[in-house]
Amino acid sequence: MKTSNLVSKYNILFFIILIVLIAFPFVADSRTLTILLTQIFIFSILAMSYDILLGYTGIVSFGHAMFFGIGAYATAIMLNTFEATIPVFIGSILLGILLSALVSFFVGLLTLRLKSHFFAMLTLAISGLLLVVAEKWRTVTKGNDGFTFRAPDIFKDRIVFYFCVLACLVIVFLLLRRFVQSPLGRVLIAVRENEQRTRSLGFKTLHYKVISSVVAGVVASLAGSLYAVSLRFVNTSVMTIDITLDALLMTIIGGVGTLIGPIVGSVVIEFAQHYLSGLARDFPIFERWIIFFGIIYILAVVFFPKGIVGSIQQALTKWKMKRANNRTFALQKDKERSS
Amino acid sequence: MDLLISLVINGLATGMLIFLLAAGLTLIFGLMDVLNFAHGGLFVWGAYTGVLTYTYTESFIIGILVAILTGVVLGFIMEKLIITPVYGNHVQQILITLGFMLVLQEMIKVAFGPNAIPVKVPELLAGSWELGELIIIKYRIFIIVVGFLVFGIFHFILTRTKIGLIVRAGVMNKEMVQALGINIKKVFLFVFMTGAALAAIGGMLMAPYSGSIYAEMGMEFAILGFIVVVIGGMGSFSGSLLAAILVGLAGSFMAYYVPFLSLAVNMILMAVVLIFRPQGLFRTAKE
Repeated sequence: MKTSNLVSKYNILFFIILIVLIAFPFVADSRTLTILLTQIFIFSILAMSYDILLGYTGIVSFGHAMFFGIGAYATAIMLNTFEATIPVFIGSILLGILLSALVSFFVGLLTLRLKSHFFAMLTLAISGLLLVVAEKWRTVTKGNDGFTFRAPDIFKDRIVFYFCVLACLVIVFLLLRRFVQSPLGRVLIAVRENEQRTRSLGFKTLHYKVISSVVAGVVASLAGSLYAVSLRFVNTSVMTIDITLDALLMTIIGGVGTLIGPIVGSVVIEFAQHYLSGLARDFPIFERWIIFFGIIYILAVVFFPKGIVGSIQQALTKWKMKRANNRTFALQKDKERSS
Repeated sequence: MDLLISLVINGLATGMLIFLLAAGLTLIFGLMDVLNFAHGGLFVWGAYTGVLTYTYTESFIIGILVAILTGVVLGFIMEKLIITPVYGNHVQQILITLGFMLVLQEMIKVAFGPNAIPVKVPELLAGSWELGELIIIKYRIFIIVVGFLVFGIFHFILTRTKIGLIVRAGVMNKEMVQALGINIKKVFLFVFMTGAALAAIGGMLMAPYSGSIYAEMGMEFAILGFIVVVIGGMGSFSGSLLAAILVGLAGSFMAYYVPFLSLAVNMILMAVVLIFRPQGLFRTAKE
């Protein structure tokens, strides 16, 4: 009874936020803010996909940028070689997803049997390898210089693209929520909590970890495709460790192990990045805004390992328990008085 | 033949620089079970402070000493603030040390500016010897000598002194060492600071070798360091020397014969080793 109540309360909140976001471009006529929000949505998708690995399955991957990059390059190259139309765009997203699924499947199969720190290093190395390939394979990727391409005409209007990305975000959010609440998602959480015990209960944990890595890779590739179209430009920076670090920071600061956390994290980080680099004109120290994030991130890992959303949830449950306790206490007192 | 010798010298010199980085990493991992992703940050801090002192005072020796001092101080701060809260939790260790790496790297840009700083080779070591057709750059020989010297010193400390005995015992079974009445925490701190100092020396020696220093080189070299640690086997000191030489030689030969693969060869080496021999090439599986 109580949980269903809670869920519907959350749903109402989501609904309100969604309506605000839909109404936003019509109310506020700010081009910069629309672009910033689009960027936030794209990185929310990326951070959510990363959280499937980090928050739900408990694997640290340093190679997440490669899936983002695969998506970005698939879209950019296809839109560049064929006509820039919507069917080609959708086809390129599907191509990116297919490639990411294949890569993440084989990489996962090879690497996920290793211990956490080996896995982290190996993913770092493999994504480094892919970065080198992207830099050297100049006939296709144009290397570090990158290339511009034409986006489908309909996306010339920033607002249309805004809605397109928002729709993707909502769909991905709902699908991932369904995914983590499914029995399969439960097994992933069990793997995170205690892998050996899960294995001894008869689950083939490697299979589940591979599934998790494929899902994360596919979603990240979608984010990459959208990112490429939003810039109408692609170069090898989409594959660098910086992208992985962004996803990592957003997930940790927002809250691991929740799907809203990464979204909150990407809102906080993108906004802060935007405004802090604006402040840099007056205070040069803000040009290095990443220091503040690094410090906040370290503090978050030590003191608030659950991030913003997780800490709020924790505080809420504590507060509710306290209130419930007080109520029973008061009831007891009343009883004593009446007797 | 001349070509072969100069390729070998190049490879050995790079290998030695990586070894200085990897030696600290492997001891820290073997003893403390901590994977330090911020090791590259110590490397780059050693390089910057050392080089600035060196250009200011014109004395390479003082530069190296300042680099060591930086490494020791940063190692102390880091062990106390960053590592102590996360003992025993691998995922958190990876996350927190990576965060500290970010901070260290950005602090470099704040303190010394984002541009690369040119470094010249000290006069005594500048230039090269010419043996007929063969040209040997003096500084590379210097790095190789220093590398072997460091290896020799540490090998001596580890195998012949009491403190080395404690460290080796700690790598094998730290609970037992603690039960024998040795304050293992102090040993941890000592090893961590030594590892940090080694990384800082590596950075300082690296600077004249590459001709310039920049903030991102920490991460680049740290990746090579990890590769070496993995290939050599976690916690094995001589394993990391052999692996570092292997990686250095592979890099220099590939750069000459198959330039396309030169950047990827180390990654491929590590991937192959991890998949087929996760305990490392030079370490017998004991667990």
